[in-house]
Amino acid sequence: MAKPPEEDAYAALRSSGLLLAIPTLLIVSPLAGFFLGVWLDRWLHTRPWLSIVGLALGFVAAGRETWLIYRRTLEAEERQKKKEK
Amino acid sequence: MGLEFLARVRSSTLWLAVLAALMVANYAGWRMGLGLAAGAAWSLANLWTLERLVVTITGSERRTAPSARRAGCVLAGMLALFGAGALLLRGLPPAALVAGFLAPFVVMTFKAAATLLLDSPLWARLTRSPWRALALVLGVAALAWAVAASLPSLGGASPAHEPQAPAAAPAAGHAGEPAAKPEGGSSTGPEKFANVVSVLVKANPGAEWAHRLHRFEPVVFSLLVALLLSLVAFLATRKRQLIPGPLQNGVEYVVELLYDFVVGILGPKYGPRYVPYLGTLFVYILAMNLFGLIPFMDSPTSSLNVTVGLALCTFLYVQYTGIRELGALGYVDHMAGSPRSAISWCMVPIMLPVHLIGELAKPVSLSCRLFGNVFGEDMLLVAFTSLGVATLSFMHSPVGIPWQFPFLVLALLTSTIQALVFTVLSTIYLLLMLPHEEHGHEEASQPVH
Repeated sequence: MAKPPEEDAYAALRSSGLLLAIPTLLIVSPLAGFFLGVWLDRWLHTRPWLSIVGLALGFVAAGRETWLIYRRTLEAEERQKKKEK
Repeated sequence: MGLEFLARVRSSTLWLAVLAALMVANYAGWRMGLGLAAGAAWSLANLWTLERLVVTITGSERRTAPSARRAGCVLAGMLALFGAGALLLRGLPPAALVAGFLAPFVVMTFKAAATLLLDSPLWARLTRSPWRALALVLGVAALAWAVAASLPSLGGASPAHEPQAPAAAPAAGHAGEPAAKPEGGSSTGPEKFANVVSVLVKANPGAEWAHRLHRFEPVVFSLLVALLLSLVAFLATRKRQLIPGPLQNGVEYVVELLYDFVVGILGPKYGPRYVPYLGTLFVYILAMNLFGLIPFMDSPTSSLNVTVGLALCTFLYVQYTGIRELGALGYVDHMAGSPRSAISWCMVPIMLPVHLIGELAKPVSLSCRLFGNVFGEDMLLVAFTSLGVATLSFMHSPVGIPWQFPFLVLALLTSTIQALVFTVLSTIYLLLMLPHEEHGHEEASQPVH
């Protein structure tokens, strides 16, 4: 098969791919949490509490995922800098 | 054979049970789905304990004290399993539990039959000629179609319940001729271009087969795309040469580009393992996106069902990768936020749902983005084609101004971008699930196959 690609030839693509995931996760995570909460509310007859909890957890999840992605990107950049030195 | 065969049965049963439980939960209620999943889990655990017991009793250390202890533990585990089975029978539907319990045996029977068939001279004769093999595939597809038609829930529904083809063309004229209305028929927005299936439905308004074809329209088109791609792959690899012909050269170039792309992101240690899945995903989505630009064809990715299916495949593959790379306990630890202190243990009830929501958001975002873009692109083309026809309608012109032409060129670009975005994000989700410190290229030495 093909030989391994040049080291870090795709570093920019990896970083941009990681950062590309952020906006959608920021939007979709609270929505996913909210709709999960609505579904649980309907099932357990607890409207509106679980929807609110789901929304809040969705925001936390979005923040957490963003933080993880940001940390991963920073680490990749640091590795790249070390290699250049 | 032997233990390896059993391990393959376990892994196949696990996938089958998850998919079957999801489908049953959707169509027959969550209790039935849960019952099927619990039955399959019970059966798998029972098989595993039996396997351990046999290995312990018949192994080379069978007369030693550790072996006796292991056998005792396994027997205690089996007793606990029987207790759990009794509890499950009290709480869940017995039919679903039994169906789940039988799943490993069904898989085992099919695997054994497949092994016998694949080793037989009949199979060797059938697959020696690609045309005979193609005839076999078409025969199996026709059989599957006939079986699906005989099931009342899939194909036997009364035509009265099926969506009807539109009776009249819209004001847009023949260039903007509509496909059949979406299911439910309540949509008032612009309709998609006519495709070969909608034309067939219109030509055969009373035929049940045509309505069934319309019902499975995205499936039909996605199968057609898969068939075309398989044909290209077959023709490109049929007579491989050291100095390749144009088709082999083109396919090799695409494969090499995708290999470099995936390995560039995931690193040489993990990348090669995921090239087949991610490469296929890109080529398949790109072909499906572009398929709608061919006259009388439709983009299967303009149906949410197809994009959700693709996103679910990625979601399940990412979770499977997590379990395989981190181990079952490591995966649970990862989902719980890797608690290492008393405070972080207290945070587990919050972190677990947070992580679950984060994971669920990924397939939702993947599927909605692809569906929205491709569907919007189709609608844009329909709107501008209709505008082109309407512009010259005062002259009773049989043709319109091709206002849609620039958007066709734009569609070529956006189709590629959407396929690329889906693949990049799937790769990133895999990257986030892989062990943390392993992505650096400096650590990687040999590719893992």
